[in-house]
Amino acid sequence: MIDLIFNMLMIFLLITAFFMVFTKDILTSVITLPIFGAILVVIFVILQAPGPAIAEAVIASGLTTFFFVITINKTEYEQNE
Amino acid sequence: MQISYIAVIILFCLGIYTIISNKNIIKMVMGFTILESSLILLLILISYTPGGTAPILDRQYEIVVDPIPQALALTTIVIGGSVTAVMLAVTIKLYKRYRTLNVDKLRKLRG
Amino acid sequence: MNRINVISKKLYKIGLVVSLAIFLLFIFYDIHNLESNSKRYLSDHYISEGVQETGAINIVTSVLYDYRAFDTLGEATVLLTAAAILSFLVPITKDKMRGTPFTIIVSQTTQVFIPFLAILGMYLIFFGHLAPGGGFVGGVVIALIPILLTITYRVEFSEYKFKPDKKKVSEDIGAIGFVLIGLLGILTGSNFLANGQANVSLGDAGELISAGLIPYLNIMIGIKVGAGLAIIFNSLIKEK
Repeated sequence: MIDLIFNMLMIFLLITAFFMVFTKDILTSVITLPIFGAILVVIFVILQAPGPAIAEAVIASGLTTFFFVITINKTEYEQNE
Repeated sequence: MQISYIAVIILFCLGIYTIISNKNIIKMVMGFTILESSLILLLILISYTPGGTAPILDRQYEIVVDPIPQALALTTIVIGGSVTAVMLAVTIKLYKRYRTLNVDKLRKLRG
Repeated sequence: MNRINVISKKLYKIGLVVSLAIFLLFIFYDIHNLESNSKRYLSDHYISEGVQETGAINIVTSVLYDYRAFDTLGEATVLLTAAAILSFLVPITKDKMRGTPFTIIVSQTTQVFIPFLAILGMYLIFFGHLAPGGGFVGGVVIALIPILLTITYRVEFSEYKFKPDKKKVSEDIGAIGFVLIGLLGILTGSNFLANGQANVSLGDAGELISAGLIPYLNIMIGIKVGAGLAIIFNSLIKEK
């Protein structure tokens, strides 16, 4: 059972990563970043690593998203061609 | 666990492809983030042993997962966050100076 | 001609990445075979002796702050360097955030939220040797308080509440305190950042005050990371 959930989470991780890279709108891809991080957190908890899971949840999917949003706010919001 | 190593490879190559082929600098920084996440995932996958418990030993356990790659992963996450912040600050600086985020246009401006 | 050039460039990049993927596939196949029947002598030592030697039941924390504490000092130095680079890159100006002003709901929610964030950060720092968490994560959660103030109200209000000079001083206190606690080991006749070897009383494993110097190192790292990330964020937002 846990193997099935784990494999499905891996596939979701790949789907979010590909969506993040290949979507045209840059704001959409920035908002996909915390979803990617959240799936990674669940994978870490399944793999028995609670310390890196908490760090990933707080830093990589929380703070980094703040930084990206501030950068988009500062630069011109333009479509990626 | 075979499929997860293949997922690590795909994520790593996706990050490298984003860095070398995308035109937008913010997307390139995102490629760095994906690459970093794949490396952290690899460290955690190496640390896992089937049937193990997390390395918090409030009593004696039979099988415990490897604590060293987890400590290294923690280090990688924290350093990755600060490096991303520096890269984004340089991105804002470039935009204020040249008024564009396209890499090709930046190269043409250099001459 | 131009289009053919563009397509060939794209194919070249895709081919490069695919060949890298095949290369990695072979390497990982070997790693996977190696991993199944290899012995982990160092990890086995940490797991079997770590609780007696360091007094912390979270083995990841005992690796980070006792066995490999020198690496943690280097990691903290990287954060210090990042904060220094950002304050050097960005001149001191007023903020220029685009966007609409928030309604009363957002500001009231922020006011309700901040004490819980402070308690969560303190818990993560003080229980770093007993539960997952530690100085880095707790410091980031504490740094979220000035970040929320900056986003909801303006950067002026945030810097009126948390003065930039005080943030810089507290970051320095964190860095210097880490080194001074490390020097305690040399004073007692052992190595730099020694904990159990320097005959510091470890206490009972599992208690709040135990594990020798590890909780104090956690507090120093927490102060340093919180102040450093707040400086980084305010520098990013003050870029004109």
